[in-house]
Amino acid sequence: MDSLTLIREFLENRLGVSPELVVAEAPLNDLGIDSLMMLELMFEFEDRFGITLAKGLKSPKTVGEMVALMDRLRSEQS
Amino acid sequence: MNQQRRVAVTGLGLISPFGGDLNDFFARLLAGESAVSFLRTDDVPRPLAMPFVRCQHFDADAALGRPLAGMMDRFTQLGTAAAFAAWEDAGFSRGQPTKELENWGVSWGTALGGVLAYEKGYRDLWQNGRGRVPPLSVILGMNNATNAHISIQLGLGGVSMTHTVACASSSIAIGEAFRRVRSGEAPVMLTGGSESPQAYAVVRAWEALRILASGDETTSPQACRPFSADRTGLVLGEGGAALVLEEWDHALARGARIYAEIVGYGSTSDHSHLVRPEADGQRRAMQAALSDAGLSLGEIDYVNAHGTATPEGDSVEVAALIEVFGELAARLPVSATKSMHGHQLGAAGAVEAIITVLALHQQAIPPTAHLQEIEPACLGVDHVTSARRGQPLRAALSNSFAFGGSNAVLAFRAVAH
Repeated sequence: MDSLTLIREFLENRLGVSPELVVAEAPLNDLGIDSLMMLELMFEFEDRFGITLAKGLKSPKTVGEMVALMDRLRSEQS
Repeated sequence: MNQQRRVAVTGLGLISPFGGDLNDFFARLLAGESAVSFLRTDDVPRPLAMPFVRCQHFDADAALGRPLAGMMDRFTQLGTAAAFAAWEDAGFSRGQPTKELENWGVSWGTALGGVLAYEKGYRDLWQNGRGRVPPLSVILGMNNATNAHISIQLGLGGVSMTHTVACASSSIAIGEAFRRVRSGEAPVMLTGGSESPQAYAVVRAWEALRILASGDETTSPQACRPFSADRTGLVLGEGGAALVLEEWDHALARGARIYAEIVGYGSTSDHSHLVRPEADGQRRAMQAALSDAGLSLGEIDYVNAHGTATPEGDSVEVAALIEVFGELAARLPVSATKSMHGHQLGAAGAVEAIITVLALHQQAIPPTAHLQEIEPACLGVDHVTSARRGQPLRAALSNSFAFGGSNAVLAFRAVAH
């Protein structure tokens, strides 16, 4: 599964957000990802891809930034 | 000195184990219908298999929306949905916080809190060998999750508090809410309780006390038999129930429907034994509620008993009632509605407060179901065994007597229509 699909599934299952709205330039906050849901999303990524997100990691602002971060971590930690 | 205000009950909301609305719930109780069924799970190593009261028709996503429901343990889903129903029933709408709601509060009762969330976490860690649990675990598990969500969703800026006192949790929550409205601290308080106790270890713990009723797929509906000579114990259940308590003039000014007046609250401790109830502590709680309400013994036309159907508890409660009411006890109508809706622990007090309010509002007493042969030690009061109408109901008491010896009694008075 790619990072964008994971984000789309998470937002649809947990927050009822339509996948068409989850595009690269969409701000995560506008899609319902507040600080608490960001923790849950990060947990989901760690779980699904077997990666570890560093504690002091700066939270991405957009979907595209999140995808880029996840893809980088997956290639670094694989 | 603050002038004491009168306090009206202007909204009721409840998640019915029968699946219908509040009126349907009360109508079925009047008809003596039981919501008890047989619960069998697929837990390992030993499935739960027992009489239980489930709110199996409750659809959290439909009641709350998926995003909100996903942030809640089931006890919070049940409680928040009940609170929304009570809020709407009172004629309030849900919007952004306004200045007016800044001192409107929430007082909620739960014995176990988010125990299902905790248990899922423990299973993940200890049974499934995972190294961690999801970030929302704290938010789901914390005992104050329900009142937190209620105050956020309804925009209430006053006190947001939880009361955890075993079986008396929501009676105490209601009593403390009543005090705040009566004193003038809060014009409106949203109060009630919720519980979802069907966690594996919780049920195993209750089983170990040997006070759960026996029953199978066929006999479960009649398993909870308060005051009966052949009673075998209590039936656990889940539930959520909420009431809106409102300062009297505030309610009149906006033309609110007033179900009943809440007039008294008595809370005592047995200071005796951790599980064995004491008639003296219960007597003092009932007398305190009557005194607080300014009601005389002769004005009480109904008592909704704690009546869990444990062999020990029922007779102690009847003894306490006789101590309080003396010569009047023999003609005092008493019923134990747990015979039909089970014991929802922290939600029980709120469910029974609603039943007591509806009894006064509709002038009808629901029965103790399945009561054919009364145990001799439970004789001495007027046991209601089928719905009773036709005699005026002026005032009523609702009893909750908890493990640990905490007793809470609420007093209500009927209003003229």
